[in-house]
This record gives sequence, structure tokens and C-alpha cells, in this order.
Amino acid sequence: MPGTTTKDAESIEPQSLKRALDLPPPVPEAKKIRLSHKIKVAFGGVEPVSQTGTSSASVSSLHERNFSTSALMESTRWPRPEWHAPWKNYRVIQGHLGWVRSVAFDPSNKWFCTGSADRTIKMWDVATGVLKLTLTGHIDQVRALAVSNRHKYMFSAGDDKQVKCWDLEQNKVIRSYHGHLSGVHCLALHPTEDVLLTGGRDSVCRVWDIRTKRQRFALTGHDNTVCSVFTRPTHPQIVTGSHDTTIKFWDLRYGGKAMTTLTHHKKSVRAMTLHPKEDAFASASADNTKKFSLPKGEFCHNMLSQQKTIINAMAVNEDGVMVTGGDNGSIWFWDWKSGHSFQQSQTSVQPGSLESEAGIYAACYDQTGSRLVTCEADKTIKMWKQDENATPETHPVNFKPPKVIRRF
Amino acid sequence: MEFLKDLPPAKSTATTFYDHSNDPWFKNRFTESESEKSAAVVAFKAVPVYLKRQGFRPRSPEDFGDGGAFPEIHVAQYPLGMGKNKSSKPGSKTLPVTVDAEGNVVFDAIVRQNENSKKIVYSQHKDIIPKVLKNERGGDGVVDEEEELQKQIQATTEETKAAMEKIVNVRLSAAQPTNVPRQSGDSEFIKYKPSQQSAAFNSGAKERIIRMVEMPVDPLDPPKFKHKRVPKASGSPPVPVMHSPPRPVTVKDQQDWKIPPCISNWKNPKGYTIPLDKRLAADGRGLQDVQINDNFAKLSEALYVAEQKAREAVSMRSKVQKEMMMKEKERKEQELRALAQKARSERTGAPASMPVSSDRARSESVDPRGDYDYDRERERDRDRDRDMEREREREGPKESRAEREERIQRDKIREERRRERERERRLEAKDAATGKKSKITRDRDRDISEKVALGMASTGRKGGEVMYDQRLFNQEKGMDSGFATDDQYNVYDKGLFTAQPTLSTLYKPKKDTDEEMYGNADEQLDKLKNTEKFKPDRAFTGASERSGKRERPVEFEKEDEQDPFGLDRFVSDVNKGKKPLDKIGSGGTMRASGGGGSSSRDDYGGSGRTKINFERGDR
Repeated sequence: MPGTTTKDAESIEPQSLKRALDLPPPVPEAKKIRLSHKIKVAFGGVEPVSQTGTSSASVSSLHERNFSTSALMESTRWPRPEWHAPWKNYRVIQGHLGWVRSVAFDPSNKWFCTGSADRTIKMWDVATGVLKLTLTGHIDQVRALAVSNRHKYMFSAGDDKQVKCWDLEQNKVIRSYHGHLSGVHCLALHPTEDVLLTGGRDSVCRVWDIRTKRQRFALTGHDNTVCSVFTRPTHPQIVTGSHDTTIKFWDLRYGGKAMTTLTHHKKSVRAMTLHPKEDAFASASADNTKKFSLPKGEFCHNMLSQQKTIINAMAVNEDGVMVTGGDNGSIWFWDWKSGHSFQQSQTSVQPGSLESEAGIYAACYDQTGSRLVTCEADKTIKMWKQDENATPETHPVNFKPPKVIRRF
Repeated sequence: MEFLKDLPPAKSTATTFYDHSNDPWFKNRFTESESEKSAAVVAFKAVPVYLKRQGFRPRSPEDFGDGGAFPEIHVAQYPLGMGKNKSSKPGSKTLPVTVDAEGNVVFDAIVRQNENSKKIVYSQHKDIIPKVLKNERGGDGVVDEEEELQKQIQATTEETKAAMEKIVNVRLSAAQPTNVPRQSGDSEFIKYKPSQQSAAFNSGAKERIIRMVEMPVDPLDPPKFKHKRVPKASGSPPVPVMHSPPRPVTVKDQQDWKIPPCISNWKNPKGYTIPLDKRLAADGRGLQDVQINDNFAKLSEALYVAEQKAREAVSMRSKVQKEMMMKEKERKEQELRALAQKARSERTGAPASMPVSSDRARSESVDPRGDYDYDRERERDRDRDRDMEREREREGPKESRAEREERIQRDKIREERRRERERERRLEAKDAATGKKSKITRDRDRDISEKVALGMASTGRKGGEVMYDQRLFNQEKGMDSGFATDDQYNVYDKGLFTAQPTLSTLYKPKKDTDEEMYGNADEQLDKLKNTEKFKPDRAFTGASERSGKRERPVEFEKEDEQDPFGLDRFVSDVNKGKKPLDKIGSGGTMRASGGGGSSSRDDYGGSGRTKINFERGDR
């Protein structure tokens, strides 16, 4: 894969750094003992048979893995964050009668649709924020939405186990994908194939053929609700995040098997977002937001601060502005490259709602990446844009490179 | 083997019943070793000469020739298979320890077993340390990169499509089976002869031909048996957990997660004891202070002050008025007294205008001295007047002693009554001042309910007796048994007009319908009403002449047994020439106490043949 080699992860050379910082030598025994204990417990012990000549290309040296993180992280080489203008809320759209749980933009960028706990899907004009259409048909919360850019179709999935295909020329349900055993929490459209992916509370990600309504694969392997999914044209084509705290890469070619499992998160991975240009994605859970490089799923780094709430929504635009929306109404804006949070704002609930009703359930940039739409628990949709008057002088970047990263 | 030879020979080798050579243990021990030895002997490879053994890896037993391990080759060696773990088969759970290029043990080989060997498994510490993405794109390289990417996408798409096509085709072919089981159209004919050859059996047929056809099967039938495929457990171990263990919960976290229980003022289904302060806190009313405007206090203060002032003014005015009235009265009294004195003086002839004038002058001159002195003066004046009157009385016509006594008595009574009235008035005034009501007014102002409760209400009936429905009494079952079904007309226990005799009016014949035939209406009525004719003119013989009701059942008397039917007498009567039937009625054997004379019922006491003479009652 020559295309990805340039973007490959660069690990910092540890030897020089160790010498430079003059750190006490780490204790390799402790780790070894722990690992061997684990192995013994799981597989009944290893017999000490030395075997030279095995292919040890994939196996790295022992002492390399035993350095503490602080030694490995060179603060001077940490990338500086780019300056981004702060984002501000410029429009609040009322109209839904329940929590707004999902949002998707039209490929033409003329309208966007939101799905709500009031069982409706509403379409809004992007420029004016005027309601264009209300679609009914679901009998429970609409949890996920997607608009196809290859067909005139919109797809919706809800807690009522239904996945529906809407024809946008007739505004009707034309197909319904039956098979989920419980509520459907996430939905994604494959960019090149006519394939629809849904993940739900039955801890299965299902791959549907759009046309025939048949289930192509059931990607089983998660132990808990599959709550986030995205697809890519190249491998890995499907990435799912689940409440069992793992992220799995799936291969569509070989019968839908899990290729890689990432176990870096401690809490359920409720939101993931793929960078539009880079081969990397970020995943958010209640403990940390982490960035992974893509074809192999190598862990890149954590975001430099912790939001300390359940993160329901996440989006990133081409400028490298990542946004995460939390359950407590906090919206944090991050610089993608450095993982620095340059703006930590809080939504204000609409008048008449409780203070506890501040919560972000979905967030999405428009096609250009200049507008942000958040769907909130106070039944409103809020639209955000960058502050045009802001300059690096008025809003300086307050960035300190991380010295020690303790949290994995 | 030599060791065996040294042993003394077995005693009963010839007489052994057990074939040791066939024993599996024996076979394992001996045949294997022999075969191994033979294999080692038969075929062993040529071992490179010493110092020329670079790259030589002795693995199989034949590599060792006849000898042992090569010490200069640093590889685990098993000459003659010695020390080799024979149980290490592909399915075993132990892995050989592998080392990497630098001689370090690869511990994570264990997680890269079966399926995981084809996957990427992150298991090392370097996989969780932060790395920064290189994000440098050369300006000229972009086009190539894009092209590369497009190519890659294309390739992936094609590959995926092909893979999915394959799966779909398999599914489709399964769904549309081409090899539908052919219905074998050919039939088989079987001819047979029944063993029982009789006309009664088998319709008397001698032989039969049976055509055997396979039962047609609907090709579209769903399969009768469903094989549910149990997903195969993945043979690979779980991937290593790449994060630190969860941090212990701090006290602050615990406190943050402590959610107070919901306290309702209306519901407590579990019946917990909820402290009062918690209840008050849940109420929420006590949380905000009530702000009272100062103007309330000001208003009440002003009202109070105004009331005080008004009261003072009123009392002052009333006092002044009272004084003025008093003075007026005094003046009038003086005038009257002066008049009286004048009249008296005129009567007596003495000029007596002096004291009045002097008195008035004095009273006027006294005024500034104060009320008290003035009053005393007045009392003195009155006493003087009384004395004068008494003198006058004495002078008047003398009354008798009795009269005098009487008068004194009357005066006494009068005085008493006056005092009584005065006292009452005083009491009343005192009560009114304190806000109490007098007895009379209190009773008058009572509420109706109070009056009823005190028994003051005039309910018309003075007995205090409560009216009850008569039907409620003397009933065994209860209230609802008294009211019968709807079609039973027993709503009223009495006739509405009890005074009016219903029966007498019901059957009253009309006037002058057929007078000439039956007589006047009154006559008819009398006739109807007359029940005299139903009365027997005489009672049964022997029956006690009682007008009352029968108290006891009818008693029968036993007569002499010899002649129950009175035959003897009959005969004697015949002899006497008397009619027998005359005697029968009077000589009844039954002594019954007949019903009352007014009874209209037919009391046929005697036999059926008894003739009772009814006498028409005189009218």
C-alpha cells in the first residue's frame, strides 16, 4: 500500500531519548511476570523450548516495549495545534417534540434531516432552517439516519428494530430491512457498494443488500450493543464500535470476519468519526477520545484533555476541527492533528426545559464543513458556525505540549 | 536386554497362560523400541563432517545417524526422539517458546495462534504508546497518491463485489434448486395371490395386481427438518486488553454518584420512615424565604393608631354628651322642684320662693366646685324633701294600722323588684361591655342546628320520639327483605284514608237500578249487610255457650262402646213411634265450641245430613 506509507505512524526512537532524560532503567521483570501469569492462566503454561530460526520479523525486541510513556514522548516534537476560529451557535431550530437523536446531510447540501424520539423524521432547509417535510413511519425513536449520495434514497433506523429505505422522490418508505432482534442504534452506507450497514442492541452489525433487502452478512463478535459504525472504500471496509469497549474491523471479502480488535478503550465506544482526508479515525468513549491510524488500526494518541462525560456524538471536518458532544451538553472542539481542545463550550437549553436536558445526541458537519448541526436533548437542533471576527490575536491558542501522558 | 539375561530363568515359562507378546503394554515397550531401532539402523542420512555443519539442522531421528546430539549446533535436538514431547500434536494447548531475532522470548505468540495468526493483534507496550501521524504530503505526490487511492478503491470494490456475488450465487442456487427430485413416473406392478382362497375373503378374487407409485412430493414444501447451524467458536484466544485497569473509585466519585432517593409528599409505597427535615426539603416550599412588604406593617400600624384616636374621640364626645344631659336633667329637676315648692307654698300660703332661688343660686355658684360636692348637696336636698313629704303624710288623713302594714309590704316588694331589675340591667350592661351576650339574646341568636341540638326546635311533636318506618320492625332478614319485588304492591302498609271504610263503599249498589224488583238501594244494602241469616238459631247441644274463640282443639268424647250408632235407642224409639231423624241433630256426639255468633262461616259441625234451621233475623 504505497498510498498509506507516507501517513504511517512514526514511533519515536526511544534510545536517544532515554539517554537524554537520564531515566532510571525500567524493571522488565514485573511486566514479564504479569504477562506470563496471564498466559499461564489462560493457556496452561508455556514449555520452555527454545526454537531459533523462527520468523521474528513481526516480533519486536523486548526492552523496547518496556519504556514508560513519559520517556517515549518527546514534548518538543509534539505537533503544534493549528489555529481555528471559535465556533458559535447562530441558530436554534425548534420543531421536534422529543429528543433529537440523529442527523444527516443531503449530498447536495440543500437540506438536512433529523430523527427524533417523537418518531418522526424532519427535513430542514440548511440556509434558512425552515421545516420542509415531516416523515412518519417509525414507531419508536429514530436513532440513525443516512442519505445516499448514489441513489435518491434516505435510510433510517430506529429503536423499533426497523430499518427503512425512503424514496426521496415520493417521500415514501419503499423498503424495510427486517432482521434486527432489537433496537438499531447506528447505520452507515457503503461508499462504493450497494450495501447498508446497521448495528444494534442485538450486538450484531448487519450488512444488507439495499436492492434485494436481503441480509448479506451478520457481523457477529461484539459482546454488547453496536453503537457506532462507519465504512470506507478500502480495507478495512467496516469499523464498528460497541458497548463492549472494543472496536472491530471487518472484512467484507472473506465472509465478514473480524480482522482486528482494538481494546484500547475502557468504556463503551459510542461515537467514531473518520477523517475525510487522512487515513485515520477517532473514537470517543467516556474515558478518553483516541485516534487510530487506519489500514492497520495502530493507536496514535489520546486527545490531550478529557471531556469527562459520556460522548454521544463526534464529527470532524476537512479543516481538522473535531467536535465531540457530551451527555451533559458540553461541546468540545479539538484540533485534529495535535489533539488539543481549543474550545470547550456548553450548550444552553431552550427556555422551558430543565437544566438536565442539556445533552448532545448527534452532531454533523454539512458537506462543506463550515456549518455544524447538533441534535440535543432539549428537543432543539442547534446550528453552529465559526466566528468570522476572531483572529489568532483575539483568540490565542493556549497550548502546552504534553509532558507525560499517563492515561492509555 | 542383557539385564534380563542375568536374571534367573522363569520357572513356568512353558506353562504361562498369558501371552505377553500380545499385551498392549508389552507391545508398546518392545515392538516400538525395536522398530525405532530398526528405523535408525536402516536409514540415516549422511551427517556433514565436523566444521562443515553450517546451516545443518538436525530435526528428525535419522539426522543424528547412530549418535547423539551435536553440541555445536544451537538448536533443540532430540536424538532417538529422546526428550521430545510426543503429545505435542497440532490440537494441543501448549505452544513452544519462540524467540525473536535477538533471542528474546516472544510472549505474545500465544495470542497469535490459530485465526489470529492472519490478523493484526496488538499485544505489546509499544502499541499503546502515543505516536504522531506523519502528515507530510508532497505537492507532486498528490496526484500519484490520488491515482493510487482510486486504483486501490477500484480493486477493493471489484474484489468485494466478486466475493459477494459468489455468496449471493450460492444462496440463490440454494434457493432455486435445479436438481428437484424427479417424481418417478414409472410404476411397479406386483402380482400376488392371497393365501386364503375363499369366496368370502378378498371378494373372492383369486389373485391381485398392485401398482406401486411413489407418493408425489411437493417440491415447494419447506424442509421438514431445520438444521440450525451453531456458529463455530473462534479458535483464537481473545485479544489482549490494551488499556490500564480501571482506576479505583475515589470517594469523590462515590459521592458524586450518590443519588438521593426520591421523596414524595403523596406516595410512600414501601413505607419508609422519612425524616421530617427531608420531607420539608422535598417539599420545596421552605426553600425560599417569604418576602413580606413593609407596607403591610405600616398599614396595620396606621389602622391601629387611627382606631385608637377614633375611640378616644368617641369616648370624649360621649362623656361630654352625658355631662350635658346630666346638667339638663338637673336643671329640669330643679325647675320641677321649684314649681312643686311654689305650689306647696301657695297651698300653705307661705312665701317659699326663697329657698328655691337661693338653692338654684347656690347650685350655680357651687358648680365650679366639682361633681362630688354637687352630688352630696343634691342628696341632702332630696333627704330634706323626703322628710317634708313624710311630715305631710302624717298631717294627711290617718290610715289604719292594717292599711299601713299592707302599704309597707307593698313598698317592700316594689323595692325588691326594683333592685332586682337594676341588678339585672347592671349585669347585662357589664356583659355587653365585655362582649358577652345575655341569656336571652344568646338564645335568640343561636343557629338552627344549635337549636335543634339543644332541643329548642319546635318539631311539633314534643315527645322527642323519632319516627321510624313501620316496615323496618319485626323483620328477620333485614332491610331489603321488606321491600318485595317490584310487581308486588306493598308500598303502603296502611290505607291512605283509614277513617273511611273501604269495604262499605266498594260494594255499594247503585241507586234505583231495579227498584221494583229488589226494592230500594238501602233495602238491598241492608239485605246484603245483614248476616243474621247465617247465624244458627241454636247451638249444638252440649256445646258450651261461649262467644269467644276456641282455645283448644275440638275434643271428642267417648261414649259407650256397645252401641256406637245408637241402634238400641233407635229400636226403642221406633217402638215409641218417634221419628229417628229428629233426634240426630240434637243428639250429636260432637261437643264443639262453636265459633262466634258473628261468624259468617259455615260451621257444619254435624254430619252431612244434619239440617240446620236458619232463622231469618228480624229486621
